[in-house]
Amino acid sequence: MVTVQLVLQLSSVSRTPSWQRRDNGLTIRMILSFAILALLYAVFLSVLAYIGFDFIAITIIASLMVLAQWYFSDKIVLWSSGAKIVTRDQFPKLHDMVERIVSRNNLPKPKIAVINTKMPNAFATGKGRKSAVVAVTTGLMELLSDPEELEGVIAHELTHIRNRDVLVLTLASIFATVAWYLMQFGFYGGLYGGGMGYGRDRNNGGTMIIVIVVAVLVWIISFLIIRAIARYREFSADRGSAQMTGKPVKLANALMKISGNMRQVPTKDLRQVEGLNAFFIIPAISGSTIGNLFSTHPPVEKRVEKLMEMEASMS
Amino acid sequence: MRFFGKFIKKDYNAKTDSDALFSLSSAYLTIESKIGLKNSGRCALSMKNISGMYFNEMKEDIKRFLDISKTDFELSYRTHTDLYGYLWIILEGKRMEDLLAGISAVGDTVDEKGFSNQLLAAIFEFTNDKNKKQYLIYNYKRNTFYPFVPLESGQKSRNTEEEMKMMATIVDEVPLERDMTLWYPLWDLPL
Repeated sequence: MVTVQLVLQLSSVSRTPSWQRRDNGLTIRMILSFAILALLYAVFLSVLAYIGFDFIAITIIASLMVLAQWYFSDKIVLWSSGAKIVTRDQFPKLHDMVERIVSRNNLPKPKIAVINTKMPNAFATGKGRKSAVVAVTTGLMELLSDPEELEGVIAHELTHIRNRDVLVLTLASIFATVAWYLMQFGFYGGLYGGGMGYGRDRNNGGTMIIVIVVAVLVWIISFLIIRAIARYREFSADRGSAQMTGKPVKLANALMKISGNMRQVPTKDLRQVEGLNAFFIIPAISGSTIGNLFSTHPPVEKRVEKLMEMEASMS
Repeated sequence: MRFFGKFIKKDYNAKTDSDALFSLSSAYLTIESKIGLKNSGRCALSMKNISGMYFNEMKEDIKRFLDISKTDFELSYRTHTDLYGYLWIILEGKRMEDLLAGISAVGDTVDEKGFSNQLLAAIFEFTNDKNKKQYLIYNYKRNTFYPFVPLESGQKSRNTEEEMKMMATIVDEVPLERDMTLWYPLWDLPL
């Protein structure tokens, strides 16, 4: 393994395209995001401390709840999605496919689950690399008739597991959850005039408002940061998938199929739409940027474009 | 109002951008070496046919020019009017450079006569190792190229994967249409 990595490292210095190299951006962004979150948290704490708020209990409870949520994440997810762990006998081809990818990339084999629904989708969950589950829907297997496309999607999910994305996002959401609890708590505290014994007796209403405002701000900002992290990790998982399979274009195609964006590439003849001159005035940028801020997944067009860049740098 | 109209009604029908077209003169080599698609030696230009003396005159000019250039460029040509009423000028030649020069000269003539609005697209044909046809379409209104790979089933469906591969190969070399919703196909090409 060490030698293999050494070779890869060496070749990356000379001519390997950037996306094939180690994803330093991910690490840097993660550290940065956590630093910002920690800073937010610190500011939040000091404001609370300043106004004499007894927050520790709630913080601990909220964190414990989030951790419990993480600990049981696989079970919760499997239960709520209706995914069933399947054996090799039930889905031999799926097992073969996953085994091929993990053995090629030196990863432990995850459990494989299937969800019986027409909706094409896939997800990964689990606390760590060893207890991970990759789930695919029957709709996905039907839609992606080309096995290499399915392989791209599974490799994408395997990258989520390899990058420990469940843990990362859980940790990141602790702050948001704590802020959320405090927000509600502060709200109730404010309603009852701090009668529950928290805060100082003098100017209680004022401090409560501050708590609420700060909590709301913390919650909004951490909410946005979590989404930014999630989006970036989607790009990373796409890149990881491209590395594992060596076929970015297959994943790009799969993504377009899944999102129903196949209709994006039109089938209507150019001569039929030519008269609609106005159509050509519409700028290439579609969709709203504000919507992008809130979504956990980057728009498919962006992901496809990045995958195409990888494809281009490969051939 | 006329004052504003002058600014608002911008002419989006840009002129034949020969720079954009000629970027294909090296890009076709990249296509061949990277994904093994060969230039089939055929390309075409299509424009909206209109009636009128000037347009007919222009058509005669183009034909005259192409007759002369048969020897210079080693190009042969034929014309075709399709079901949509579009006029096609189909060129055949051995070298991509000649094809590009021919297409570009025809486009220039159309432009000079003031009919650049009628220009629709230039189409370049490639064949893969199984002799299946794949195309690059140059849209005169957008001044961009985009790929078009029809599936042979006759069901008007396209091989998006091959199209994306083509796009990925030449993304750095030619102005490509980034908005895939504008990758309008041209079915039943008369090439």
